[in-house]
Amino acid sequence: MESVNLKVSNAPFVRSKDSIESVMYNVALALAPATVMSVYLFGMRALVLTVVSILSCIAFEWLMDKARNKPNSCLDGSALVTGLLLALNVPANLPLWMVVTGAFIAIVATKHVFGGLGYNVFNPALVARVFLLISFPAAMTSWPMPAPFSFDMMVDMETGASPLGILKTDGVQAALASLSLMDGFYGTMTGSLGETSALALLAGAAWLWYKKYITMYIPLTIMGSVFLFTGLFHLIDPGTYASPAFHMVTGGLVLGAFFMATDMVTSPLSIRGQLLFGLGCGLLTAVIRLWGGYPEGISFAILIMNSFVPLIDRWDLNDRKAENKKEPETP
Amino acid sequence: MKTFKTGGIHPPESKFTENIPIEEMPVPAELAISLNQHLGKPAKPLVKVGSEVKKGELIGAADGFISANVHASTSGKVKAVKPYPHPSGQYAMTVFITADGNDEWAEGLNTDPADWHGFSKEEIIGKINDAGIVGMGGAGFPTNVKLSPPPDKQIDTIILNGAECEPFLTADHRLMLESPEEVVEGLEIIASLFGGHAKAYIGIESNKKDAIETISRIASPKGIEVISLKTKYPQGAEKQLINAITGRTIEQGELPFDKGCLVQNIGTAVAIYEAVCKNRPLIDRIVTVSGLEIGQPKNIRAVIGTSFRDIARFCGDLKERTNQIISGGPMMGKALFTLDVPIVKTTSGILFINNTGIEKAHERTCIRCGKCVDVCPQGLAPWLLANVAQIRDFDEIQLLGLANCTECGSCTYVCPSKRELVHWIKYAKALVNNRQKRKSA
Amino acid sequence: MISEAFIPAVTSLGSVALALGLIIFYVSKKFHVEEDPMVVIINDILPGVNCGACGYPSCGQFAEILVETKDSSMSCPVGGADLAAKLGTTLGIAMAEPKPITAVVLCQGDNDTAKETAEYFGIQDCWAATQTFVGPKQCRYSCIGLGSCIAFCDFGAMRLENGLIVIDKDLCTGCGACIPACPTGVLVMQEKKAERYYIACNSHDKGAATKKACDAGCIACQKCVKVCDDDAIVIESFLARIIQEKCTACGKCIEVCPTKVNCIILEQDFHDAKQKKAS
Repeated sequence: MESVNLKVSNAPFVRSKDSIESVMYNVALALAPATVMSVYLFGMRALVLTVVSILSCIAFEWLMDKARNKPNSCLDGSALVTGLLLALNVPANLPLWMVVTGAFIAIVATKHVFGGLGYNVFNPALVARVFLLISFPAAMTSWPMPAPFSFDMMVDMETGASPLGILKTDGVQAALASLSLMDGFYGTMTGSLGETSALALLAGAAWLWYKKYITMYIPLTIMGSVFLFTGLFHLIDPGTYASPAFHMVTGGLVLGAFFMATDMVTSPLSIRGQLLFGLGCGLLTAVIRLWGGYPEGISFAILIMNSFVPLIDRWDLNDRKAENKKEPETP
Repeated sequence: MKTFKTGGIHPPESKFTENIPIEEMPVPAELAISLNQHLGKPAKPLVKVGSEVKKGELIGAADGFISANVHASTSGKVKAVKPYPHPSGQYAMTVFITADGNDEWAEGLNTDPADWHGFSKEEIIGKINDAGIVGMGGAGFPTNVKLSPPPDKQIDTIILNGAECEPFLTADHRLMLESPEEVVEGLEIIASLFGGHAKAYIGIESNKKDAIETISRIASPKGIEVISLKTKYPQGAEKQLINAITGRTIEQGELPFDKGCLVQNIGTAVAIYEAVCKNRPLIDRIVTVSGLEIGQPKNIRAVIGTSFRDIARFCGDLKERTNQIISGGPMMGKALFTLDVPIVKTTSGILFINNTGIEKAHERTCIRCGKCVDVCPQGLAPWLLANVAQIRDFDEIQLLGLANCTECGSCTYVCPSKRELVHWIKYAKALVNNRQKRKSA
Repeated sequence: MISEAFIPAVTSLGSVALALGLIIFYVSKKFHVEEDPMVVIINDILPGVNCGACGYPSCGQFAEILVETKDSSMSCPVGGADLAAKLGTTLGIAMAEPKPITAVVLCQGDNDTAKETAEYFGIQDCWAATQTFVGPKQCRYSCIGLGSCIAFCDFGAMRLENGLIVIDKDLCTGCGACIPACPTGVLVMQEKKAERYYIACNSHDKGAATKKACDAGCIACQKCVKVCDDDAIVIESFLARIIQEKCTACGKCIEVCPTKVNCIILEQDFHDAKQKKAS
């Protein structure tokens, strides 16, 4: 009894089991159905691309930790999630060196330059996607046709434009003809790895919601505002504007709304802030889709709204301060 | 089932001792009775080395308005009066008494129960003051002061706090099961101080079904309402309990009596009963001895001044892998640096644990998950308070509601980045106090 | 081809730059604030560290007030006598010579001399640690040894050595910023002297308790009081204090100090005193 070596620390002495790792690995787990779906749709090539993306993200994370003299964080799951999201955001036949470039942009230029996990203003995977889209537009917009259970490497596979691309270039009729809504929901259409199957993504999002890692304020306001906005114009002129249901299932909307916009680090904290953030993302997405130069707008919309997050948080902060200022100062 | 509105968590309850009856612990050979067992100024020592004291004799007199009397817990000889470790982790002036083994009561104390209905309000408060009763839930606010609110404050709600929301602790639970009459009688005495118009409640968390039943049987016929509360931490914190039972919110800078409420702990109610009816000063209390590293977890009744070392021995010794000894509950308790610490009037529990992660744990960056904001029962943004504390901006932090924090620890409990949120807030409070002190000096 | 793209770019950007430059030029002329040239000169002489030791928030403020009032009692502890002379000649007044002061640590309880309580895990800051318990050392008056004061020193004069704050007296300017940063108050300001004795202990505990907690604590044994010929040592609440005005630096007190590590130290050889006793 005399020999016990006592240690002093602070209350509380019980802590929840949640950790950065558990949060990140749960997000990764939630992305698993979409990843599996993409391998089913696009074959081995999708798997190779995903693995390369994850490994290069982890490698850059490790390098940056070394360079910045920080504790090793490459296995905390955040690089894994970034890698997964990056892979899900690009077409299956993207050259691998471009994926590695994307990983560099995500981990080094977007995350560690701003101070690492928790300090980045923008969602790393999204910045990487937009960087690739602007730098290599051709490679980023020639999507392979889904070919379930094909296990060749599909180097010169059949490619095509995405439904949203067709909508932009060939109009509503051509776009609607290119797919049925159920195709869009299950994912048997052209698109980036993770953009295709809304079903798999929703299953993952449901898991995260059940585990309370995300709330539904942001995704639902994004989906809702895109639906209403595109619906309004569809009602005005169905010949020019596609139906809201078409917009729901095509492109990266589901992936963006449920997985990218809900990124804890780059979204507001308060509920009303999240609603505002979601509304902004939704409206910007719809505007870009309807009138912008790019067929798809969710990535740009989220990044633009990311930059408003500090401002939205300040709204909350100022209210808190105003509340306490009212009180007479205690002597 | 009622509960408070904002925040709250549900840590594992770990109430290992809830079915173990209270055991009387024999008075040890030496007692160390701290003179600082309450909020406010420490008591003034009245004894010198060598003086003989009887059980229940006054050895420390309340010094000032917010202070409390301290009594000898057994008969014997004063061995020393010196600073000694205190369960708060600091040092406090402590009277050492070598027991003579007779355990002899001083004249006129611990009499047969008298009927308190004949006593006047002043007499009752005087008796409570004489008995040195303080809030036994943890803060240790002198009870006689709490029971004498300013005359312009009308008390219409009296709440007895049987929530015991801290994990591990079962002292109040056992007390409610084993002495329900005393608990209810104590509450009646408190209620009598505020005339007939104050409504009395006993709030008990719903995980203590047996206690709710036992207390209801006795309290309901007397017009006291027993409220079943949702099992949620910090249900037993004063502000949260008031909010749960009455729906009222205590704002920053307000005290419960500003909203017509008065909250007392179960242990305090029994102590009040004993002081008023039996002339028995507060010299012992129920302590839960628990944790995975103690031989036999127990609920014990130990005299004030019994050392943690003696208690560990009485409860089957602690295991060698123990690395933390905690006075109080795991959410708000204090880790001690030595076993040579006496229990005081506010020691509700002693935990012997092996905190395995302690060496490896380090604070990581905030990932802005917002969990701390969700669970904060006071509606604060703990992550922001901690961030501002880290950059030492003490004007800003006060605007963010620093004074509103009750240090319940919910935020630190949930933080996935393992940030020491509460500790940063305590740090900021210490520095803000220090700055104010220097300004006024 | 190149020139087609080149010329418009150069001309457009160039004209924008020119326009902006003209605006800046105009604004600087228009809103020019006349400054007392003397204030500028004085400001240049001052150390420019804005430490606040003089009682003014910045060196600029000090310069302004000094030029305005020509108050010869104003002094800058950082600059010392040299600066005072310089300021005096510049302003044509005789500046009072500031007494150089320095911060000292009234504690020698490092990891070897002070008894530990328990290992501390938590925020590595003295104030945070004292909120948790008495501190990593048993003596509640001691230097906590987590170095909260270091961040407050603008001059890099403080460092942690073996769990104790050490002040580099050559670097310390006496600004006093560290004093309120210490939760236990072991830092005090003292006049800089070539040879000066002081009691490096802050413990007001009784002798026995002090001795139990630390090998270098003042146990209030009165030996130094008795041996001092100048009545320069007094004991106040179990702690000796050397009255600097009376002390002649004879060094007799050090000879009789019975603690394992002298609690009385000579400022010059902080470390030598300790080693003498150890050998």
